[in-house]
Amino acid sequence: MGEPRLTIARRELATLRSEKTIVLALLIQLFIAAFSSFLVVGLVSLYDPGSVEGYETTVGVTGDASDDLLRVVDEQASMEGVAYDSQATARTAFRNGEVDAVLLADRRAGRVFVTATAPDGNVRTTIIVVQLRETLSTFERVERDQRSSSLAATPLDLPPRSGSTPYYGFSYTVLLPLLCFLPVFISGSITVDSVTEEFERGTLELLRVAPVSTVDIVDGKVWAAAVLAPAQAGLWLLLLDFNGTPVRHPLALLLVVAALSLLVVTLGATIALLAPDRRAAQFLYSVSVLVAFGGTTLLPLNPVNTVARLAVDSVGPTYPLLVVGYVALGVGAYFLLRRAVPRIGLVD
Amino acid sequence: MSGRVDRLRDALRAVARIARWETSRSAGVVDRQTAVLGLVALLLAGAVGGAAMVTGGVALDRDVYRIGVADDSPYHEVVTESPALAARPPDLDRLGRGVEVVVRQDRFYVADSQKARAALSTFRDAARRHNLAQMRDERNESAAFPVVVTLRYAERTPDEGVTSGGGAGATNGGDGAGGTATDESDGAAGTGSSEGGGAGGVDAAGGSTGDGPLGVPGLGAGGLLGGGGTSGSPADIAPPFPFGALVLAFVFFIPMNFVIQPYGSSILNERINRRGELLLVAPVSPTAIVAGKTLPYLALLIGVTTVVALAIGGGPVSVAAVAPIAILYLAATFVGGMFARSFKELTFVTVSISVFLTSYAFVPAIFTNVTPIALISPLTLVVQDLQGTGVTAAEYAFSTGPFYVGSAVCFLLGVGVYREEDMFTQRPVPLKFLDALNSRIESPRSVAVLSALSIPFVFIAELLAIAVLFVLPVEVSIPLLLVAVATVEEVAKSVHLYAGFRGPFAGRRGWKMALALGALSGLGFFLGEKLTAIVQFVGLPDLTLGRAAFSSAGVAATPTVGLLLLLAPLVLHATTTSIASLGATRDRTSYLAALVPAIAVHAAYNLAVVSTLG
Repeated sequence: MGEPRLTIARRELATLRSEKTIVLALLIQLFIAAFSSFLVVGLVSLYDPGSVEGYETTVGVTGDASDDLLRVVDEQASMEGVAYDSQATARTAFRNGEVDAVLLADRRAGRVFVTATAPDGNVRTTIIVVQLRETLSTFERVERDQRSSSLAATPLDLPPRSGSTPYYGFSYTVLLPLLCFLPVFISGSITVDSVTEEFERGTLELLRVAPVSTVDIVDGKVWAAAVLAPAQAGLWLLLLDFNGTPVRHPLALLLVVAALSLLVVTLGATIALLAPDRRAAQFLYSVSVLVAFGGTTLLPLNPVNTVARLAVDSVGPTYPLLVVGYVALGVGAYFLLRRAVPRIGLVD
Repeated sequence: MSGRVDRLRDALRAVARIARWETSRSAGVVDRQTAVLGLVALLLAGAVGGAAMVTGGVALDRDVYRIGVADDSPYHEVVTESPALAARPPDLDRLGRGVEVVVRQDRFYVADSQKARAALSTFRDAARRHNLAQMRDERNESAAFPVVVTLRYAERTPDEGVTSGGGAGATNGGDGAGGTATDESDGAAGTGSSEGGGAGGVDAAGGSTGDGPLGVPGLGAGGLLGGGGTSGSPADIAPPFPFGALVLAFVFFIPMNFVIQPYGSSILNERINRRGELLLVAPVSPTAIVAGKTLPYLALLIGVTTVVALAIGGGPVSVAAVAPIAILYLAATFVGGMFARSFKELTFVTVSISVFLTSYAFVPAIFTNVTPIALISPLTLVVQDLQGTGVTAAEYAFSTGPFYVGSAVCFLLGVGVYREEDMFTQRPVPLKFLDALNSRIESPRSVAVLSALSIPFVFIAELLAIAVLFVLPVEVSIPLLLVAVATVEEVAKSVHLYAGFRGPFAGRRGWKMALALGALSGLGFFLGEKLTAIVQFVGLPDLTLGRAAFSSAGVAATPTVGLLLLLAPLVLHATTTSIASLGATRDRTSYLAALVPAIAVHAAYNLAVVSTLG
């Protein structure tokens, strides 16, 4: 019958396959990824006017500082300024839809007071406000330069504008870690379910009269669950690569995911052995994983950051040491559990 | 009469007894060891949340970009201040291999890669923030901030005057909203909520440069809602982005995700090793058993929601808005617990429920202060309650109606299979679902009732589609939406027919029966759909997308057209469902194949309606 531990692992994977839950798991991950991408592409990119070049905004400018302001507005690529003599005519033009926004600029007490009116109630509002902010910031710099003699420090020149998409940082620092760690959390949860279910159904007793030790049973369950996460992460890496998000150091990345998967699965198995009721075990598991991951993000070398930096190749030549550290952590936890299992005692 | 009262009193007593039993049994599994472990975990969670709060959030992108800059360069400080940037020696030879951007004598050398462009963009933002911080220290305020901006939002309609302020009055909320692009998506996974909240709170509290006419420092709640800065220096103004909705979503939703876990376990436990049999043979109805088992969890959730609402300064409206979400969470978990074969399967089902409901409540709430779309989510009611805008009865009914009716239908389906032959058998989830539908089919008339009952789910699916497609240009979103709507409605109208032909109508698979059932199902759907006319009260049809989605609900522009169109949807629903019904008489493949022409006809009809009315 071969290695009993492999048999148990195979049985675990077979139930996952027969229940088609692994398909559901992949769908959930895809949904979460699509959902967070939707947020970024659809909404957060609105904060970057560079990514919405298609929109040309027409602005009505009025007030006694309108000449200076109009000069700045006309310099903007995505904006066109129209001068109006009075506030009333500008407002009428706004209501009739001739201009998208109105800027009323007045000089008072050595400053320029600008009242910006943007249309209420649609998505373009966001784009218009962002474009106004950009324009007015430029205007502020121009005005500040004229007053530089009264300033103690001169502002630094800004680095040139680059045609970068806002998705770049998101893809590597949020999306990729998300896709790498979701399978890990799911694997740990599977282990908790698998172990507690053996208790609930009383099948653990049956397994124990078979010529396998408790350690073998735990081994089989841990192996099956721990293998799943890197396999799924590998799939996501391929998909990202296919979609034009190349991932550097894929092997090191998968090793880190595998090590963390072993660590989290071990944690799940330990909790399930200590608290064999699923309600308590799942609660403890989710809180501990939240704590562990939330806690480590405060550290300079947290897993999320490690994955992101590996993927964009922002690691120094010493990165193999870091990967070895993760592997040592995962394997160490696993061997600790193996030594502890006979002592936990599965009497009841 | 008195007999009925007695029966009711007995039933209530049974429910109360089962609820007490469920509470004591659930509390019983928590032994001392588990309790201590749980307490330690919770304390640690609190400590981590507090640490995140104190340090002002976490930087997931720490040192992702490397900038070559000399120690004595004025840009060195910019690089060290920004967590995403790492300072390296200004070595031009290593450009592209070790550094992305090099600064030398105020010139910027950029490697030719996407990463380097992203690095430059981050660097530019960091320099801008650095300048802003420097200017805040200046003594001569009018020279440092020569431009003061007040942002107003105005309606575009010719008869409306200018209305001021779409924001929540948080002067410096802009920084909080603009700079947290990465936090939000992280929060979507349910891991980064406390960090997000920390970042927002710190920013709102730190802002004090509000020197414009509206320069009132944001209150706690104002900062939380962060509806976009409306006055101050140009860098302070921000689009109306309700950052708070996001935080709220997670403050209210996290307890729900924790509570549905034990609830689902408790339901599934009854089904393991025929444990529930004892309760089934007791002289109480399945409804009473389910009600008793659900009550403690519902009470717990409403209690937690009340505490959360009080903590963030919400009133009864907030609780009333979140309670239906809690009920639907429980209802969906109950159905999941009745269908799942093992704990593993249950985990996936509950995770799916969490993900779906969280996005349903969250996506539309992003548009609070922007459009009526936001009202799709009950969270918008919470935001309005906190902002003091007030909530009308129609708005409440619109936001929470689908949740109440949807929960009722879920419980109805679940109770239908709360019987021996379904509880203790192992069948795949889709078959259990068909069984649950069949348990509600007694006569051809039930088919019409089930169609009408599917309306809340259809409504939820369509509203989610609207919210998701809302950001796309109208030319793209309308056709996509029309197809999505047609698909959702056709499936909803015919899936129970498919179930019926595998259950009560198995012996009567003739085409006459198929057509009759199809027409009945279409009729039921048509009648149910009339209820969706409530969308008229909240202004959703004013939007192009709203018109497109609810065109067949008879939300017509003029009375004459409305009369003409009153019967057209009935004919449409009856026809398309009959097509699908013919396919459903045979196997799954032919059912799916028959759905295609049904959806096509439906989408074409919707397109015709939208283009004539639009």
